[in-house]
Amino acid sequence: MSLDLVIWCMVLVPLAGGLLALSRGAVRAVMLIVCGTVLIAGVFSGAAIFRVFTHGPLSAADGWLFIDGLSAYNLVVMNLIFLLSTGFSVVYFAEEARIGTFGLKQARMFASLWCGAMAAMTLVLVSNNLGLMWVGIETTTLTTAFLICVHESRPSLEAMWKYILICSVGVAFAFMGTLLIAASAQGLDIRTTDLLLWTTLREHSVQLKPVLVKIAFIFLVVGYGAKAGLAPMHNWLPDAHSQAPSPVSALFSGFMLNAALYCIMRYLPIVEGATGGVGWGTGILSIFGLLSIVVAAAFILFQQDIKRLLAYHSVEHIGIIALGLGTGGLGTFAALFHTLNHSVCKALSFLAAGRLGQIFGSHDMKKLSGALAISPVWGWGLFAGILALVGLAPFSLFISEFLLVKALVDKSAWAPLVIFLAGVCIVFVGALAHAIPIAWGAPEPGVRRQKATGAEIALVALPLALLAVLGVWMPVPLQHAITGAADIIRGLTPATVQGVQP
Amino acid sequence: MILLILSDLALLGMGVFGAHISIVAVQGFVLGAFALLSQYEHLTPRVGAIALITVAVKGVLFPYLLRRAIKDTEVVRESKPYVGYNTSVMGGLVVVTVSLWLGVRLPFAAAVDMPLVVASSIVTMFTGLMLTVTRRKTLTQCIGYIVFENGIYIFGMAVAGEIPLLVELGLLLDACVAVLVMGIAIYRISREFDHMDADKLRTLRG
Repeated sequence: MSLDLVIWCMVLVPLAGGLLALSRGAVRAVMLIVCGTVLIAGVFSGAAIFRVFTHGPLSAADGWLFIDGLSAYNLVVMNLIFLLSTGFSVVYFAEEARIGTFGLKQARMFASLWCGAMAAMTLVLVSNNLGLMWVGIETTTLTTAFLICVHESRPSLEAMWKYILICSVGVAFAFMGTLLIAASAQGLDIRTTDLLLWTTLREHSVQLKPVLVKIAFIFLVVGYGAKAGLAPMHNWLPDAHSQAPSPVSALFSGFMLNAALYCIMRYLPIVEGATGGVGWGTGILSIFGLLSIVVAAAFILFQQDIKRLLAYHSVEHIGIIALGLGTGGLGTFAALFHTLNHSVCKALSFLAAGRLGQIFGSHDMKKLSGALAISPVWGWGLFAGILALVGLAPFSLFISEFLLVKALVDKSAWAPLVIFLAGVCIVFVGALAHAIPIAWGAPEPGVRRQKATGAEIALVALPLALLAVLGVWMPVPLQHAITGAADIIRGLTPATVQGVQP
Repeated sequence: MILLILSDLALLGMGVFGAHISIVAVQGFVLGAFALLSQYEHLTPRVGAIALITVAVKGVLFPYLLRRAIKDTEVVRESKPYVGYNTSVMGGLVVVTVSLWLGVRLPFAAAVDMPLVVASSIVTMFTGLMLTVTRRKTLTQCIGYIVFENGIYIFGMAVAGEIPLLVELGLLLDACVAVLVMGIAIYRISREFDHMDADKLRTLRG
């Protein structure tokens, strides 16, 4: 099969799967289709990713679709999260189906939107045209909005409304930014069909009009940043994460935020090129990053709901990633590595929190106490997840945060370093204060001990093993992949126009 | 363009949904006309189609959907906005001045009448944002969002008019879907809560 087709399939397979799921008449069949779709799309992505890492960028559709090292790396993370959370959704919804809150209607809705979201996120990652990328983000907003209220209830509707409103305005801002970028490139000798192509803009970035690029970047950071959950545009995030069914929360935190951040990553080299590489764009990103860390640290202390706690962790970690991108140099590498670590770890934590929520019948952290005794598997999953999130040593999040500290020291950026460390310390104390009673507290009477199935054990053990292994050993191919992706953001790799035609 | 700016100021100064919706409809027609006029020298079928769709969607469909939404819920006017009507209008006037200045200053390549067009688009965007942020009813927020989109639309037509279809399609799709979604949301929210007050949507905090 030609490689053009592979890229097309990556987007079209989930779309087809979503439609197919709508036509099935049984919950089981619908869930099977979801799993199949995610697997098949994963295989296609895997093929494309392998090809990119071995032979260089791919492109299709006259250069409008394009995969390079950066998109391939993000595709790896995306497929990992989708596999993990889809596997979990089967376990999670089986329990809900047992108690009767997950019928055919919910299953169909979940399946079609889930696959739709996958198609949209893939589109974001494989499009070279910045307009198309924006359409992808827009579509993720619309599909995931309804995923929040698979179970229609007052709080979930409220969360959905907030989410739609804030993210639609954000997406509109991003569109404005895209327009301004297009305006800044006008008057150059470029075909109008190529004007919005990332490769073209990257190549001509020095000739773009700096004033317009600067305004555009502010719109883009605010717009995509709202979607990524950067403070102060993060208000929708804790609500949406806490109200959505757990597999959806895992997807939100694990990849949707990254997808929005990925758009900002794409614009960074263009902006730096246009403004003369003085760190104007990265500076803005650092400020947003630091603000997010501080805000999250403050709110983590006062949470009662476990999923809201995890949501604020997301704000913190997205802040850390933004700070890394803003620092540049080694920081970019750290940021990209951190996206992988954070996504895996956060998905695991949300899954564990969701399952524990089902067992205990509540997401209130006071009621979750004694989780280790009640459900050792998920209890450990959650506890270890939180330990990893606060940056404890054997896990890979520690390594990426450590690399960021090193990058900040290298740049002698002392003020950001102090704020970052202070924020991380507050989070450390705050989160542990919540986590220890959950782990070892006395369980409330009436909650019965639950045995886990083999699948559940695997869902906890695999991500934890990944995090632990990456914490002590970085495989060489991964290191190459991240370095390659970081070079694209730092603008060190010349934009290979139109990619390598297969 | 001046009509557009005036309609924005009117939106800022009023609190009755019916009037708001009428103004949104007028804006839709103005936008359609603008799409035609801005390209009248080289009028292509594409521009015609865009103008037609604009009028149909923004001038007819949205107002219709919005009116239906009020009928369902029997709410007629805005209750106490966070920023008063007079202050909003004054703010709008300040933005008009600033945006005219910006329209002259910014180095755009294309189009005639640039300062006025850019200015009116900025004012429209500001109005939309104001309505979205400072009003309490979900319906006004929704109208604000449409107005915000209108502002971006003008900007897009003026600045990036000749970039292939995708841009405008994206915008129309976006506005259309946003309202659709919001319409459903309003419907569901009102059914579930017996009111449309976004202010009361505050169980989830902190």
